[in-house]
Amino acid sequence: MAEILAERYTGASIKRSEDPRILTGRGRYVDDVKLPGMLHAAFVRSPLAHGKVLSVDVSAAKELPGVVGVYTGAEMESMTVPGPDLLASMMGGGVPMPEFTLLATDKVRLVGDPVVLVVAESRALAEDGAELVEVDYDELPPVASAAVALDPSSTPVFANLGNNVARPHSRNEFGDVASAFANADRTYEFTVNVHRHQNVPMEGRGCVCDFDPSTQTMTVYAATQSVHVSKMAVAVRLGLEQDKVRVLAGDIGGSFGLKIGASREELSVAAASRALGRPVKWVEDRGENLTTSGQAREESFDVRAAVSNDGDLLALDVKMVIDTGAYPGMGGMVPNIIEGMLPGPYKMQALGFESTGAITNKATYVAYRGPWASETFVRERIIDVIAKDLGIDPLEMRLRNVVENTDPPAKMITGRPLVGVTTKESMQRVAELVDVEAFRRRQEAERANGRYLGLGIATFIEAAPGPRSAESGQGLMGMEQMRLRLEDDGIVTLFTGQMPHGQSHQTTLAQIAADEFGVPFEQVRVVVGDTDQVPFGLTGGSRSATMTGGVALHGARQLKAKVLDFASNLMEANADDLDIVDGRVEVRGDPSSAITVAEVAHQAGDADLEVQATYDGGEGGWSGGTHCAIVEVDVETGLVKVERYVVSEDCGALINPAVVEGQIRGGVAQGIGAVLLERSAYDDNGNYQSATFMDYLLPTACDIPRIEIDHLETVPLDAHVNFRGVGEGGMIVAPPTVVNAIEDALAPFGVRIFEQHLPPARILELIETPT
Amino acid sequence: MKLPPFEYVVPTSVDEALALLAEHGDEANVLAGGQSLIPLLALRLARPAVLIDINRIAGLDELSASNGHVRVGALTREYVAEESPVVADNVPLLAAALPFIGHEAIRSRGTIGGSLAHADPAGELPAVARALDAAFVVRSLSGERVVAAADWFEGYLSTARQADELLTEVRFPKATAGTGVSFDEVARRHGDFAIVALATSLTIDGGAISDARLAFAGASDVPVRASKAEQVLAGQKPSTELFAEAAQQAAADLDPPADLHGTAEYRKKVAAALVRRGLEAAADAAGRR
Amino acid sequence: MPMKTGSITLTVNGAKRSGSPEARKTLADFLRDDLELTGTHLGCEHGVCGACTVVVDGRAVRSCLMLAVQADGSDVTTVEGLAADGEMTPLQQALWDSHGFQCGFCTPGFLMQATAFLDAHPDADEASLREALSGNICRCTGYQSIVDGVLLAAERMRQG
Repeated sequence: MAEILAERYTGASIKRSEDPRILTGRGRYVDDVKLPGMLHAAFVRSPLAHGKVLSVDVSAAKELPGVVGVYTGAEMESMTVPGPDLLASMMGGGVPMPEFTLLATDKVRLVGDPVVLVVAESRALAEDGAELVEVDYDELPPVASAAVALDPSSTPVFANLGNNVARPHSRNEFGDVASAFANADRTYEFTVNVHRHQNVPMEGRGCVCDFDPSTQTMTVYAATQSVHVSKMAVAVRLGLEQDKVRVLAGDIGGSFGLKIGASREELSVAAASRALGRPVKWVEDRGENLTTSGQAREESFDVRAAVSNDGDLLALDVKMVIDTGAYPGMGGMVPNIIEGMLPGPYKMQALGFESTGAITNKATYVAYRGPWASETFVRERIIDVIAKDLGIDPLEMRLRNVVENTDPPAKMITGRPLVGVTTKESMQRVAELVDVEAFRRRQEAERANGRYLGLGIATFIEAAPGPRSAESGQGLMGMEQMRLRLEDDGIVTLFTGQMPHGQSHQTTLAQIAADEFGVPFEQVRVVVGDTDQVPFGLTGGSRSATMTGGVALHGARQLKAKVLDFASNLMEANADDLDIVDGRVEVRGDPSSAITVAEVAHQAGDADLEVQATYDGGEGGWSGGTHCAIVEVDVETGLVKVERYVVSEDCGALINPAVVEGQIRGGVAQGIGAVLLERSAYDDNGNYQSATFMDYLLPTACDIPRIEIDHLETVPLDAHVNFRGVGEGGMIVAPPTVVNAIEDALAPFGVRIFEQHLPPARILELIETPT
Repeated sequence: MKLPPFEYVVPTSVDEALALLAEHGDEANVLAGGQSLIPLLALRLARPAVLIDINRIAGLDELSASNGHVRVGALTREYVAEESPVVADNVPLLAAALPFIGHEAIRSRGTIGGSLAHADPAGELPAVARALDAAFVVRSLSGERVVAAADWFEGYLSTARQADELLTEVRFPKATAGTGVSFDEVARRHGDFAIVALATSLTIDGGAISDARLAFAGASDVPVRASKAEQVLAGQKPSTELFAEAAQQAAADLDPPADLHGTAEYRKKVAAALVRRGLEAAADAAGRR
Repeated sequence: MPMKTGSITLTVNGAKRSGSPEARKTLADFLRDDLELTGTHLGCEHGVCGACTVVVDGRAVRSCLMLAVQADGSDVTTVEGLAADGEMTPLQQALWDSHGFQCGFCTPGFLMQATAFLDAHPDADEASLREALSGNICRCTGYQSIVDGVLLAAERMRQG
């Protein structure tokens, strides 16, 4: 079991309580769930990007021995309650909602669109059955890009919308944009493109839906970031009362934003389970995951910048187009977040922002770790370009423009106070950690040898949870709930709606509760993944460090007070004179008086040693940091090696440094992957080209260097809770860090880079014809 | 995806295998290491009616040196060849190429014969076989014949093996004195399929190149010898200028494919770079023999 | 006579196990479904991600690229077979100590690949180790914690 590494658990890299089962192969992922009578699902999927469905013939499939049920789109409609996609309604940003069915009825709208559900005794038989389904399509002109979509003559992907505009054009201005540009010494114009790429957790989507006809109850074994959101989605779509649906989740093999709510496939499987009265499992294979589960980041930005000769970044005017794919997801909302975040930690005076969303025949734009990340990419990229044009060192330009950590805090021109932002300190720290002078000498020497090394720096902030709002008096992330209970055997149980999928909550939350309540780490149990037991919650948005750490801290204190109050009667002492130390209630200064918390709980009998705690994030705050990459570009092959990667980060107080560092490194790896390897590629006909791991390339142990991480000590913002989230930052800032380094390496060739995906062939193209 | 259904048979002798191939011909696939075939089955891109698993046939994995050749049984596992002193000492180009094949776990099962019968043009072994003019021994019920490497690779994933034939052995010529080799590839990541790979062999006799072999993977639908570039090199003294000329010639003669990982132009540039680097490395290695 | 598919018998984690899988069933699916050893995971089913790695007759292999029937008579070790009598191996212990993993889905594949690698190369340096593990994909960690854990295990095993 875990050793006590420090007097207090919080702040120490306590070994994970998850690991014994993970390391011995006893983790329980959704594909490990096996129920008596369980059947398996496979989908007939569209081979076309865009088409009308003329006819569907399932007769041969139904005859195949082992096939138990076959459901067309029309049948699935009669088995479910029509309605808008729950998640899109939650995350869609209030845009017009397209009308569509769970399985395709009249149309298919992307390659891989599910058309028919086949249920059989085994997955292999279900796939055999799916191959026997005959679908007649009438091909329609593919809407294969945002440019095509925004052309009014393009065929509407959704009939009820009448066009392919996902999010109508809108424009906002903050500050006096016109004046800032009129008075600027110089203005610049750039177009910056971010390419489509995707979450790719090692475990795909999946579920086992188990409808029990005798109780009319649906149990869903899910892979999800929130059991309650999944439950809502299933209950609503199946027309079930909420108390007739239970969602259970065990271990989850990663998600990064993908597994929220319930997909059209999962809802169809739930309906099939009800129709058959038997459990049905669907676990997507890698082809389905890459082709249909969802993608992100395909955005383009026309940027105008107003700048002084000395390098003040006065204003930006940005036009954004986002390719939201076909079915609605998060694409409608992302421009709002990007708009708010574009100024970053800089003293910008004005921002103009306009956006349009396009509907295309591609997979849904889903939440992917730091969904708004392009704001950092655009800003940090153009700062480098402008700095070089002005003859200013890029770090110096950043230092010139960054806000100071003042009280009262500076405000982003888009409104949010930059309270506690230590961007400047993180920039200075990175400069200390990386001897830039020495690198420049080495860079010059190596150029003479025909080797091209580059150094890039970029900075970011993320609202994790963000500053307390002066207007509403509330934190930005709503409320977090937790139920805490002292059990009969002395175990302190935390019931949380968090749904860890790599974040180590079962360890970090126990660390906090153990410290605050006063029991050994091993005496705290964190319960997740059961809608019957845990309060509402969702893991995402880098919320849990503050929101759940905070509710665990305050909740444990509340539980302790309750327990001491009860114990005071038992021990005939004042509650104020009691403390809980190492699992024992004792009169302060008199260890001989101690009785175990188990004894107290036992004595309590029916009395309720439980609290329902809530927390609104306290003072909240920003997380952020500055990253630096040193790369080498082989100018004959275009291959890039990241030689060194340095992080100075600030997420306030660390609950578990090893967990924090793991989150940062994982995010950075995804950012490096995005730049060098990963692309969700479609051709001009909407055919998906990255459907296997031979084509969608993920970084390996040879691609990611050691990542050096320095933690800034910062002044606490909140009297009690100073943990801030760190899950998304690495992925947000690594892409511009690496691209800045590559451009620096290629400076002798006059290369300027306005895109994020730089495979070897593209690097050689850039060298040949610098933009 | 899960594999589609097929009839599965496991011959325990070459004769049994040949009888099955004669019976099923085009409807059958031969299963050796499975590292290329099973993914195709799993993606349902290959749909054989019959799968003939030859892994239980004894005697097909012998590796031995004989007069002028190393005889590699078709079922020789790639990791066995990689660890073999016979290969290291006698066919250095093969030894140099083997570590580039996928990852260790792939080489645990993948076979020399399987890889060469599958004939992926981006594969390492086809380039080596082509560079060295390896000989392919195939057997059928009608007898045995030997196919030269130049005739073996006919098209994309397509070889001279007839549907009723089994590849039983590949013979690699032993490297002669004064020979230096190099194998290198440009791939997106370590262990990936080559975007372009180059197998190079140079024999230097009295300061001049007496034999030059350059064979590309990933540059066409089959492995290709850069014959004109070889002619540029023949009889000449090694030099950076000579190698640059050979590289230019080699690239100019290529008509490479384009895909997600590289345009045709990119492949040509990379091919030229690989030739320059490969020739330097091979010349150095020859100097040391 | 050519062998037809019938029953297979193999040793799995030291115990004799048998079954009658369809010929098209992979070793990975046989282990997971028929033998209910769900520690071996499916990440891609086309041989790239390494999550399905097990040890067969002393060699790390991708179990999604073997038919179950091909393992007849073989000696197979899965992640469940590493710890003996509830006692983790030095590798498992070191990966616990180093916070090696996060979501855990790639973990069994890494454990089996690293186990086989350390058996053959107990003194490997970081660069060779990274190469050896480059056929296993992790999406969560950025690999450093895994590499550190394996190096820690190797060091501890050298010290005995």
